[in-house]
This record gives sequence, structure tokens and C-alpha cells, in this order.
Amino acid sequence: MKKNRMRKLNKLLEIPEEVYSDVPKISLIGFDEMIIENYKGILEYEEFFIRISTYKGLISINGYNLNLETMTNDDIRVTGKIESFDFERITD
Amino acid sequence: MIIKKMINYIYGYVRIVVEGYYIERFINICRNRNYMMWNIKKSNDIQLALNVEIKNFKEICKIAKKTQCKVKIKAKRGLPFFLNRYKKRKIFALFLILIFLVIFSSSHFVWNIEIIEENGLEIENIMEDIQEAGLTIGKSKNDINAKEIINKVRLERDDIAWMGIELKGTNAIVRLVKAEKKPEIVNEDEYCNIISNKNGVITKINAQDGTANVKVGDTVSVGDVLINGWMEGKYTGIRYVHAKGEIEAKVWYTEHKTIEYTTTERRHTGNSENHFGIKINNFEINFSKGVSKFKFYDTIEIENKIRLFSNLYLPISVIKTTYQEYEEEKKIYSVEEAKNLGIQQIEEELERKIENKENIVNKNINTYEHENSIDVYVTYEVLENIGTNEKIVF
Repeated sequence: MKKNRMRKLNKLLEIPEEVYSDVPKISLIGFDEMIIENYKGILEYEEFFIRISTYKGLISINGYNLNLETMTNDDIRVTGKIESFDFERITD
Repeated sequence: MIIKKMINYIYGYVRIVVEGYYIERFINICRNRNYMMWNIKKSNDIQLALNVEIKNFKEICKIAKKTQCKVKIKAKRGLPFFLNRYKKRKIFALFLILIFLVIFSSSHFVWNIEIIEENGLEIENIMEDIQEAGLTIGKSKNDINAKEIINKVRLERDDIAWMGIELKGTNAIVRLVKAEKKPEIVNEDEYCNIISNKNGVITKINAQDGTANVKVGDTVSVGDVLINGWMEGKYTGIRYVHAKGEIEAKVWYTEHKTIEYTTTERRHTGNSENHFGIKINNFEINFSKGVSKFKFYDTIEIENKIRLFSNLYLPISVIKTTYQEYEEEKKIYSVEEAKNLGIQQIEEELERKIENKENIVNKNINTYEHENSIDVYVTYEVLENIGTNEKIVF
């Protein structure tokens, strides 16, 4: 009930959703750079495969020469030749 | 991004290689503890290279141990490492501080006086007067009272129309405007004569007001009255006026030169030698010893003050001495050649003197030959307007 009210207030003030909630925001710049905000942790990291867990599910990225360029507390930047990525929804 | 990189550089960071099988766990633990990590790259299956801040490095080592990883330092970058390298060089640091102090303290003094004359008119001995008035090299900038100096200099001299002192860095720029000496202006309603200001022969005289004193063909010299400032009428008697009129006269300009038949001429061979030295106040240090190796040479000395920025002069100057070699060559002129050379030189000189070249009426060349030289006289006849006003004093 309280969460709902906050949500309405935030919508009224037009605050972006990823700021007030845990919803991840994924932005892709070209095919070589991907920024994921609101992530939880890294599950797997290889040069050709990255799995990142978020609050909504898992993101797996395929490609080659993948780097974790910058890592801060709530966003991560992946650079490299990204070939494909897919999501695994957490169903509750 | 650049700001972030700069901050990282200032605080310092290390690039480490973590080796082990639980690398993901290692990354997640580091992230949970809010450690900055960037440029993470997996080089092969079990190796991970990443940058971390140095303040977190010890903790990261502990985490690595916990996750059974090995840590190797690949590179240390940043200011703390850089400074650490120079930690032992205490004298170096001391001198660095000393130099900064010297530059800072010397920037409070005037080390150069630059004089800019408006329109390029040169004012003689102005430097001495300025220095006498209190603006000297090496004086503290606080002690310089621009207004007082300007007043002193202007009291001393009467050929300065305007003067300004600007202190820029260690450079004092003195701007001067020279006052032109104006001819005495006689008011329209005052009585005056017209007198000659040049020697010549009158070719045309036309008195609008006043009475002509000379005729066409008369020879006049400087100071002769050309038009009298009075008129005589049959019935009115003598009446004084402001003389007006046009007087044209033939004026002669003569130059003379003696040309010797055998002359030694200097010819630069193009070889030159540079010597450098440093001058601090009046103390000179020469870097290269001795004098030039040339037999005959001209010496050109150029003094350049060292400056840090455009206007921050230091009390040190670099002296560059250039020796230019020349050869002495004996030249023998024939009579004709010597004559032509003399005429050419004089003509150049005269033409510089005469303002209106189209008024040149006649050229006269006289030569007198001697045993080993020739005298050349060149006279130009020029038509000019002459005459200036002179007040009549009763």
C-alpha cells in the first residue's frame, strides 16, 4: 500500500524508474558497449561470456574480447564485441 | 571521465593480476565492499587483470587469500609512486622550493624598463631622466609612485606631451608622446611680416596683403623680409596689415663628397661565430673562452633578458656575441667610375632630403680631379614655397 503510494508520487514527479526502484536499466551503445545500472553481482566472467545478476533476473552476454571497463556500486560497463545477449526472468 | 582519471592518478593506483578459480566470487566480494575497480580484463581462463586504488590494496589481498587467489602487481601508477621515487632526493626538492621562492620574490621588482615612443619619434636621454626620477631597474614595485615619477620627468623636460607608466609583471612599460615644436602662430588679426626661411632666388612673388619687399630674381637669405606687413595708400598713409602672399623661390641643395681612387672595401664572407654568456646585474659569465678565430671581424652583441612569461622578466640576461668575418678588398676606381659613384651616393642623399621631387628644376654636377681623389659637388635646384610669419614689434 505504502509502496504503491510512493510509486504514484514518483510518477507524478517524473523521476526515472531505475532511480527509485531496483529495476535494471540496460543501455547499449553501438554493438561494442553496454551499460547496466542497478545490478547485483557478477556470476560468471570469461573473455567470451559474462553473466550478470540483477534484481529482475539474469543477463548473459556473448561475444569476444569482453572487458569490464568500469565497475561502481550500481553500474557496470561492459566493452568488447558483443554478439548476443539474453535474459532469464526470475519468476516468483 | 578525464576528471576521474586525474583523481585516480593523484591518489595512485595499481594494476594487479589475480590468479585463481574463484575469480567471480572475488569480484563480487570486492564490489560488496565498495572498492573501486576498473579496466577489468580476463587474459586467460584463470587470470584477471584489474586496476584498484592503493588504499584498498591490502584489503583486496586479504580477500584474494580468502578466495584462494594469488595477487601479483603488474604496474604502479600515480602521483604517490612518482613522489616516492624522489623521496631521497632532498637537495633536489630543496632547490625546487628555493627556485620557486626566488622567482616569487623577484617578481616584486622591476627588472626591465621598456620605453615606447609614440610614432617612433625618439626622445634623447629619456632613460637617464626616468632613472633619475626614481624608476630604476631593481626597485620594488611597491615603491614606485607612477604619478610622482611622471611629474618629475615632465618638470625636467619640455618635449614630452604625455607620459604613462604601466607595471606589467616585472616589466615597466613607459609610454611617451613627443611634443612637436610648433612654429609660432601669429593670429589673423595681428600685424606681421613674411620673412624668408631659406636661401634662394625668388622666382615668383604674389602679395595679397602687404607690400612686396623683393622682386623676382632677387637673392634672399634666411631672415630677409619678403613681404612687409604694411600698405601705403596715397591718402591713407601707412596702414599695418597681416601680410599674406605666396613666394616661390629657387633653392639650392648642395652636397659634396671626396672619392679616393684606391679604397679598401669590406666584404662579409658569411662566416660567423656565436659566443654565449650570462649576465647577472653587472657580473658576466662567458661560456666560451677567448676571442674569435677570424682575422678581421665585426662584433655584434645582443643582450636578451630572460623572461618566464610575456611580462615576467628575471634579472638575468643572455648575451650573444656574434663575430662576423669580413675580407678587406682593395678596389681601384678609374676617374669615370669614381665620379659616377660619387654622383650616385650624393643623389641618394639629396633625394632623401627633398620632399617634393617633382619640383626639382635643375641638377648641377661639378667635379675637381686631384692626384689620388676626386671631389664631386652636386647641386639641385628646387622650386619651393618659402616664407614664415613674423610678428611686427613696434
